[in-house]
Amino acid sequence: MNGKSFIAALCAAAALFAAVPAPAAELRIGLSGEVTSLDPHLLASQPNLTVARHVFESLTDVDPQTKLIPGLAERWRALDALTWEFSLRRGVKFHDGSEFTAEDAAFSIARPLSIRGSPGGFASYVRAVESATAVDRHTLRVRTKYPYGALPEELNSILIVSRRHAQDAGPEDFDSGRAMVGTGPYRFVRYQRGDRLELARHDGWWGKAPAWNRVTLRVIPADPSRTAALLSGELDVIEHVPSADLKNIIKNNKLHVTQTTSWRTILLHLDQYRAQPPGVSGPDGRPLADNPFRDPRVRRAISMAINRSAIAERVMEGLAVPAANVVSPDVFGHNAALKPQPYDPEGAKRLLGEAGYPKGFRITLAGPNNRYINDEQILQTVAQLLTRIGLQTRVEAMPMSAFLGRVRKEETAVSLLGWGSFAADLALRSLVAAPNPEKGYGAWNWGRYANPKVDALMEQALASVDRGRREALAREANTLAMQDLAFIPLHHQVVSWAMRADLAYVARTDEFTFAHHFSPARR
Amino acid sequence: MNAAAAAASPTREFAAGFARDRVAVAALALLGLLLAAALGASWISPQDPYDLAQLDILDARLAPGSASSAGGIYWLGSDGQGRDLLSAILHGLRISLGVGILSTVAALAIGLVIGLVSARAGGWIDALLMRVVDLQLSFPSILVALILLAVTGQGVDRIIVALVVVQWAYYARTVRGAALVELKREYVDAAVCAGYGEARILFRHVLPNVLPPLIVVATVQVAHAIALEATLSFLGLGLPITEPSLGLLIANGYTYLLSGQYWISVFPGLALLLAIVSINLVGDRLRDMLNPRLH
Repeated sequence: MNGKSFIAALCAAAALFAAVPAPAAELRIGLSGEVTSLDPHLLASQPNLTVARHVFESLTDVDPQTKLIPGLAERWRALDALTWEFSLRRGVKFHDGSEFTAEDAAFSIARPLSIRGSPGGFASYVRAVESATAVDRHTLRVRTKYPYGALPEELNSILIVSRRHAQDAGPEDFDSGRAMVGTGPYRFVRYQRGDRLELARHDGWWGKAPAWNRVTLRVIPADPSRTAALLSGELDVIEHVPSADLKNIIKNNKLHVTQTTSWRTILLHLDQYRAQPPGVSGPDGRPLADNPFRDPRVRRAISMAINRSAIAERVMEGLAVPAANVVSPDVFGHNAALKPQPYDPEGAKRLLGEAGYPKGFRITLAGPNNRYINDEQILQTVAQLLTRIGLQTRVEAMPMSAFLGRVRKEETAVSLLGWGSFAADLALRSLVAAPNPEKGYGAWNWGRYANPKVDALMEQALASVDRGRREALAREANTLAMQDLAFIPLHHQVVSWAMRADLAYVARTDEFTFAHHFSPARR
Repeated sequence: MNAAAAAASPTREFAAGFARDRVAVAALALLGLLLAAALGASWISPQDPYDLAQLDILDARLAPGSASSAGGIYWLGSDGQGRDLLSAILHGLRISLGVGILSTVAALAIGLVIGLVSARAGGWIDALLMRVVDLQLSFPSILVALILLAVTGQGVDRIIVALVVVQWAYYARTVRGAALVELKREYVDAAVCAGYGEARILFRHVLPNVLPPLIVVATVQVAHAIALEATLSFLGLGLPITEPSLGLLIANGYTYLLSGQYWISVFPGLALLLAIVSINLVGDRLRDMLNPRLH
């Protein structure tokens, strides 16, 4: 071998090495939310779904901007107003090597309703489903109880489990790993509750092979600890970068940040159903004659008193976009013509006076202190701003679990909530529709705002299987609800990820963090 | 000891003895200053940090020495809500010292009565009370306080109750020990012979003699109570967020530590440190003087 050919051989060898991914490619991700269970059908919380979606997939998927794309179903269509047909992807293998079929899909759609003692959430996604049946191995037919245009979106939240492994499995079998057999890009290795989930690459996955053969998802809810773990090199990526640390991480040249406007809207619900809402009283502490929030002028005054740009800049350090819509800009049914209410404390005072409250009144503002970005600070700032227009405001901030308990007992009147949705009509159904447990309407409409016009438009939108017509109706319903201030929109969160400089991630509107979507950055 | 000193009153002698330790005198002076500042917080602080109408979110997280939008100066900077830290620290100090002293006095009173009764009664009453004390002391105080506050909710009154519950047992144990020794002394026999009632013997004769060790325990416990209140507030279980104590101010600033806005938690932390150290130094000096074995 002469010198030249030796060098050529070396180069070829080097090229070969370069083409093969590094053998120990591991990705360690710091997640911000507590994971309560690995069972993908137990509780519809984003932290639970984040980890579950590494192992399981759904029939329909969404891209980083929340547009629907094919998942385990390659395509779907409405055969008539009540029947949908899903053509399933062929050759998809579960982690145990068995083939994914329409039987697994039908089983998975039925499973959420069969779990006893479920803290809930998933039932609402399959409420419209009358039956799901396998026509053949790769065709699933879903019949709905009523015309329902949002079925493809709803099925995105139903993860497909292996019928064979999940048939008799309870949540504990998922936590132990026995039933953690999905079709997703990663398979289960080990789970330590409250600490970490270890995963290994599923080499038979139908999608583009992820760059990492091992993934560790760490659960670190404390913001400073999560940042510290990234800075110290213990983690490669963190989600939900604490706003206070953002500037420093951006300055750090070993790290970088990617961010986008999230689908999550932060809002205030105002009690509109009780004559004497709890925590609301006259300026002297005596009960008011009537519920002030029923007066649209009072709702408008509250909206005018809130300095949304100050919250976005000072409290959120830029991680917020002032809101005027039920859903954020990328989402189906958003109306760009609606503009955030400008800050106008003088106008707000005037409106309060016109409504018969020249001296204001007392309110109690309640919300979580561990759920949304800077939630506790937002509550304090809103209290500060409302106090300026004469509403003496007390703040009750508590952990999300305690807060939800108070809400269920109907002990709050002005409550902070964050809501993310694929579409305006779906968001309105949960947040604004007059509560109706049978239909699953208004489950999160804590103020019990009720407007038959909004409800009718929302229902028509959801019943439209034609997407163009559906979006027009959803936008109209959204506009009407916001002009009437069904709730007070504050801002849309900006969601951010911080990672090593040699990693890349496409920021997702739906806030999900997926190991398989991280790639080594091109230098 | 010279004749002049012996002739002086016991109080003056005590004061002179205390003054021999310069550090303790400095600590006492500092403590007095802190107490005065805490008591006068409403008059001397530039802003009422608990009045939401006086806060301005546009003034949030300004560095020490920055001008406020209202025309004043944030000498120690402002926090995430635009609260003047100097005012917040003075008000926070008032809560911390108030909670510490009030809870200690209440716990002391309860512990004193139980300890004296236990020592005098003996038998099964003594055994029962002391087992309750043992049980109480076997739980970490932070744990007991956390559970109590989780059940009762937030508020200054609840914090004081929680601190009394976790502290009374120390005093009961200390008083019982000291009282058992005192009860064997001749003056008690003399009082019994004179036909005085039980209550009079315990509270007029025995009590003054068990006080010195108790004062030492109490001073240290005030510092302990302040630290405990700060811990509870730091964990978000103490006071409402719109009325921050020192612990809550530190907790609020903690999120900004990595971003270089040190003043939000460092200054309240320093105030807490000064309060606790000065109380402990004074307590140490008192212990040295009141402990007969050290003379």
